[in-house]
Amino acid sequence: MAGPVVETINVTKTYNHGKPNHVTALRDASLQIDEASLTVLKGPSGSGKTTLLSLIGCQTKPTRGKVAIMGKTVSKLPEKFMNLHKRKHIGFIFQHFQLIGGMSVLDNIVLPLIPEGISPKERNRRADRLLEQFDLTHRRQFKISSLSGGEQQRVAIARALINNADILLADEPSAYLDSGLTNDLLDYVRQLKQSGHTILITSHDPAVYQNPIVDRIFEIKDGRIASS
Amino acid sequence: MTYGTWFEKQRNIIDYSLQSLLRRRIRNILIMIIFILLIFAVSSILFITGALTREMMITSSSLPDITVQRIMGGRQANVPASYISEIEDIPGVEAVETRVWGYFYLTALQANFTIYGMDLNLLEEGEYQKIVNWKNTPGHAEKNPDFRMIVGQGVSELLRDIQMENTYLFYQPGWQKPIPFDIIGTFKTETELQSNDMMILQTRGARQVLELPPDEFTDLAVYVPNPEETENIALKIRRYFPELRTITRAHIQNTYSSVFGWKSAFALSSMLAAIFAFLILIWDKASGLSLEEKREIGILKAVGWDTDAVLSVKLWEGLIISGISSLTGILLAYAYTYWLRAPGLREIFVGWSSVYPPFRLTPDADPKFLLLIITIAVLPYLAVTVFPAWKAAITDPDTIMRNI
Repeated sequence: MAGPVVETINVTKTYNHGKPNHVTALRDASLQIDEASLTVLKGPSGSGKTTLLSLIGCQTKPTRGKVAIMGKTVSKLPEKFMNLHKRKHIGFIFQHFQLIGGMSVLDNIVLPLIPEGISPKERNRRADRLLEQFDLTHRRQFKISSLSGGEQQRVAIARALINNADILLADEPSAYLDSGLTNDLLDYVRQLKQSGHTILITSHDPAVYQNPIVDRIFEIKDGRIASS
Repeated sequence: MTYGTWFEKQRNIIDYSLQSLLRRRIRNILIMIIFILLIFAVSSILFITGALTREMMITSSSLPDITVQRIMGGRQANVPASYISEIEDIPGVEAVETRVWGYFYLTALQANFTIYGMDLNLLEEGEYQKIVNWKNTPGHAEKNPDFRMIVGQGVSELLRDIQMENTYLFYQPGWQKPIPFDIIGTFKTETELQSNDMMILQTRGARQVLELPPDEFTDLAVYVPNPEETENIALKIRRYFPELRTITRAHIQNTYSSVFGWKSAFALSSMLAAIFAFLILIWDKASGLSLEEKREIGILKAVGWDTDAVLSVKLWEGLIISGISSLTGILLAYAYTYWLRAPGLREIFVGWSSVYPPFRLTPDADPKFLLLIITIAVLPYLAVTVFPAWKAAITDPDTIMRNI
């Protein structure tokens, strides 16, 4: 598409807005991300990286400012339309993977497709393709709680990709991985970038942001974008 | 991305709800057991009340328009024959019939039976003939026409083990010798309550068993062709004869209805504590959404589920639990009341277990009953299940997941 795939303009996010315990996690953040690029939001813990990622991932709404995804301003949309946009364009890999422990690998992966009314047959077909891609076929019916950290991460990536999202967001994806698994992760990210996905990662891990596949780095400090 | 129809979406959500219930199966089974017990208890009370009221209404429909009893010293006394002609002379009275009846305690069965005296020859004709199953009992019965009787189907079964062939010996301490009666037939009525304790004896024999003097009767049955006049005539009888008590059929029906209604209300209000305890339990279960459940709702929202899809899951979960529990509770109560004859509860409602031998209640399910069950059980359960989920679902997934 012409123009940036993701754009934020003067985005501010205050939690508990209007209450005595309010906290401003992000101030006047503006950025643009191009199609099929790999961007890293870098910064120490509590700097506002995850908040910015959540805003771009339609997990919350800004207190002020504008978030546009694929040219459409999503920050002003009602929840139903924002979710529709999210399901259509965004895949999210959460910091703690956020998988449902009592459910099988397959059931976790197809979770975003359930409210779409997609038949079980079609859901399983798509999931099987991803299970094969991430070498998880043998774990298809295993409970999440019985998987290793690396396997859980691959399940989280597969779930983020099940809806054929154009944009993939990952929050501290290497936080709980050893160096071997981090390299595996970066391999997956490289493949996804090559296949045309736009990827945005938050990380304070040099192994991630110093990797040559990264196109652009935004440094966030005390809730502000300090440099890019 | 392809999108399915609304029905496919609902099917997916129901599948997910079932999966979700199975994942928390132990807790859900526990809730269902409590739910079933509650519905079972409430349904049993309503079933037995409905059935008994129905039995009593059928029974009372065959009563005379006015029953006249004589009261002496606050007790019911025999009615002398002299009253008959005087009551018959009251304008509006069609007929006055005499009745000979009373109760007889059968020690062997440890139960009271109703003894009713009438001319059994009348039963061999017309409509009565159809309800009596006549036995061939030649010999003794022909020799002693005053000592014949027909008994209700249930009584016949009870007497089978203690009678001698077709003869039953009435005996009470103080009598010089037992009084033998030939059982010449059995009868069955619409309700077992009616026929299960009744023995109809030839009048003269009945008088002997009940120790009733000649020319005296247990009470009088007054028939009034115009129902509008019934209360008026009853009032006249009481005015002319202050020692007489009148009981109209409508009065008996109202009494039955209010007695069972009162007992039912009392039992149900006693259960209010249990109902509230259950609601508190499920409120606690539901409003105190576990961290795991809150996290799950946060994950569903985070991967793109709308609030209404999350609520649909919770609604289906609530409907499945409350629907299955209600149905099971109602079916168990049905079996308990109508097949097992409501042991424990029947005695409370009938009130005098030594009078009635066992009887089977006739099913009487009122459609309003289902509405009542839905009102007192399913709707509150759905409310306390869905409301906390709604609170969690309208929160930003970002907030839910950061707080966990």
